[in-house]
Amino acid sequence: MAIHNILFASLLICLLIQSSHGATKERLFSDLEKSALEVTATPSRVGEVLAAGIDKLSITWKVSSTATKEPEFKAIKVKLCYAPASQVDRPWRKTENELFKDKSCPHKISSWSYDPAVKTAQSFDYTLERDIPTGTYFVRTYAVDAKDHEVAFGQSTNENKTTNLFSVQAISGRHKSLDIASVCFSVFSVLALFVFFVNEKRKAKIEQSK
Amino acid sequence: MASNEDGSIGSSLHGVTGREQVFSFSVEDGPSSQPIRTNDPTAKFALPVDSEHRAKVFKPLSFAKPHMRAFHLGWISFFTCFISTFAAAPLVPVIRDNLDLTKTDIGNAGVASVSGAIFSRLAMGAVCDLLGARYGTAFSLLLSAPAVFSMSFVADAGSYLAVRFMIGFCLATFVSCQYWTSVMFTGKIIGLVNGCAGGWGDMGGGVTQLLMPMVFHVIKLAGATPFTAWRFAFFIPGILQIIMGILVLTLGQDLPDGNLSTLQKSGQVSKDKFSKVFWFAVKNYRTWIMFVLYGFSMGVELTINNVISGYFYDRFNLTLHTAGIVAASFGMANFFARPFGGYASDVAARLFGMRGRLWTLWILQTVGALFCVWLGRASTLPIAILAMMLFSIGTQAACGALFGVAPFVSRRSLGLISGLTGAGGNFGSGVTQLLFFSSSRFSTAEGLSLMGVMAVVCTIPVAFIHFPQWGSMFLRPSQHEERSKEEHYYGGEWTEEEKSLGLHEGSIKFAENSRSERGRKAVLADIPTPEMGTPAHV
Repeated sequence: MAIHNILFASLLICLLIQSSHGATKERLFSDLEKSALEVTATPSRVGEVLAAGIDKLSITWKVSSTATKEPEFKAIKVKLCYAPASQVDRPWRKTENELFKDKSCPHKISSWSYDPAVKTAQSFDYTLERDIPTGTYFVRTYAVDAKDHEVAFGQSTNENKTTNLFSVQAISGRHKSLDIASVCFSVFSVLALFVFFVNEKRKAKIEQSK
Repeated sequence: MASNEDGSIGSSLHGVTGREQVFSFSVEDGPSSQPIRTNDPTAKFALPVDSEHRAKVFKPLSFAKPHMRAFHLGWISFFTCFISTFAAAPLVPVIRDNLDLTKTDIGNAGVASVSGAIFSRLAMGAVCDLLGARYGTAFSLLLSAPAVFSMSFVADAGSYLAVRFMIGFCLATFVSCQYWTSVMFTGKIIGLVNGCAGGWGDMGGGVTQLLMPMVFHVIKLAGATPFTAWRFAFFIPGILQIIMGILVLTLGQDLPDGNLSTLQKSGQVSKDKFSKVFWFAVKNYRTWIMFVLYGFSMGVELTINNVISGYFYDRFNLTLHTAGIVAASFGMANFFARPFGGYASDVAARLFGMRGRLWTLWILQTVGALFCVWLGRASTLPIAILAMMLFSIGTQAACGALFGVAPFVSRRSLGLISGLTGAGGNFGSGVTQLLFFSSSRFSTAEGLSLMGVMAVVCTIPVAFIHFPQWGSMFLRPSQHEERSKEEHYYGGEWTEEEKSLGLHEGSIKFAENSRSERGRKAVLADIPTPEMGTPAHV
């Protein structure tokens, strides 16, 4: 019983240590400058479900004239983000205010260093990668400073993430050669068992008749 | 002339019916230059054996036929099946993207992966009693290999769940493995042997968390996309199963004296009736307590195998690789934790008899469950890992300790009870996954703590396991003349008619050998085996 008490006491002590550990101030999404960048993402086939690995997005980004933190911009990161419909019952894609915890924009599209002299809209084509899962998406662009901290962003949809969304269908990952190999091994496995079983029954019968 | 009292000279009728177990010589003898000691049938074994030819000594580094070989084939088969069953878990972050799974889908598939084994473990108990441990193991390995390979065909949540369900059937090898060791090793060391076999097999759940991400990575390097690479990775566990199945059939042996079918056909082992075996297993209330207990030691362990990699990946933002390593250490602790539990059970039995075994079981399981509560509450990585390690040791040792008790619950229905207890493990896992990890109601962290609490509560029934000849946690053994004998307990599984035919001889021998469960008092008592049931004169 003494051991129980010691264990329980150490359990309590550890819990207390944890709860008294103060939280450090984390960088928040709500602190970023909204709409500092104007972003549009046009799929190669509008109104249809895009195929991963095949279809393209045409992405344009431009620094908005109303951007106040513009002098801090050092690089622009373009990311593919999940729309709310693709986050339902999927806590690993949850939107969190703390930037380091936020999981809603895991797919990197590209990264560009920022040139303050160029004021026109930049555009490029992006072919959807073959590891993009099935879902509904929009494009978000983060502007980062010299410390690689996000300071501003812009996205191709509205604040509630309801407009200009596009759907992607992932590749299946299946292959004919894989299917055939699978069937061959399975048949071998069952056959091996059957052969051994029948063989042994026969041997046992021979033993008995001796 | 001799009186007709039991035990007097001339009244023993051993050998009269001709059905008593006779020791045969093995068919393959050594070279004839060896001196043949025809009067000592135990001489042909590499290890010292008891009257049932079960080994009295455990030598893990040996591969001697038949005892140690059975041990190694058994645990490695079980290990392979664990790898297959939990192969999906570390790859879930990739699979969930490929198949567009929700948390509910993943949770349900996890439940399915352990549910299939509830039925297969029950069936396996019967198969072992009736066909022998070798075929039980081989059936499991070779018939579930196709399910492993069919991961290449999976395209959505439904088929994913179905395949995981079918792969899960192979966890029945647990029962065949424990049965095999229980017939090959004697009662005094059975806790340690079963603990090693079970623990090293369970390690598969840990090894798979390392193996599968590694295989996945290598296949990706060879040029495959992630969504193809994970499917191909499943070929590795599948091929391992086929290899082990063939090895078991070619190198293994059911019983110390030979294979079951050979011994049965030559009349040396009597075929038992399934209905009787089943009835005596089900009628014994201790079977059901073991069912629940194992549900909350092994059940919790199985759930963690499914859940822990994803938990560390999502909560602490580790990479797939690192999360796999952390999750693997949970399963790897089995290498020493479960044997330790079995060993602790054996030591407790030496000192305090069966009562010691029961107390050991309760302590280990409760402490493990408390650490599980702590794991759910830990918010920093180092504390979480510490809690997880302590939790793994407690729970896995409890599994080992439980199988130090299981072989004594019944002799006649040993296989079926191993099967039922094993099924209980899977049942517990299914229940905990369904309650705590299949919906968005609880976060995974909350689920872990709640599971720990439930495990503490469900460990309390240990106190109700009572053996009349040995006692229980709080009660002393019976003082009644008849009921305080082991022979009465094990003989009680046979009807008078069966006893008159001498079918219970194996149980009586077992009862004699189990006198060690009296603890230190066994040395003091010198109880000759009474003639149970055989009539004084025909």
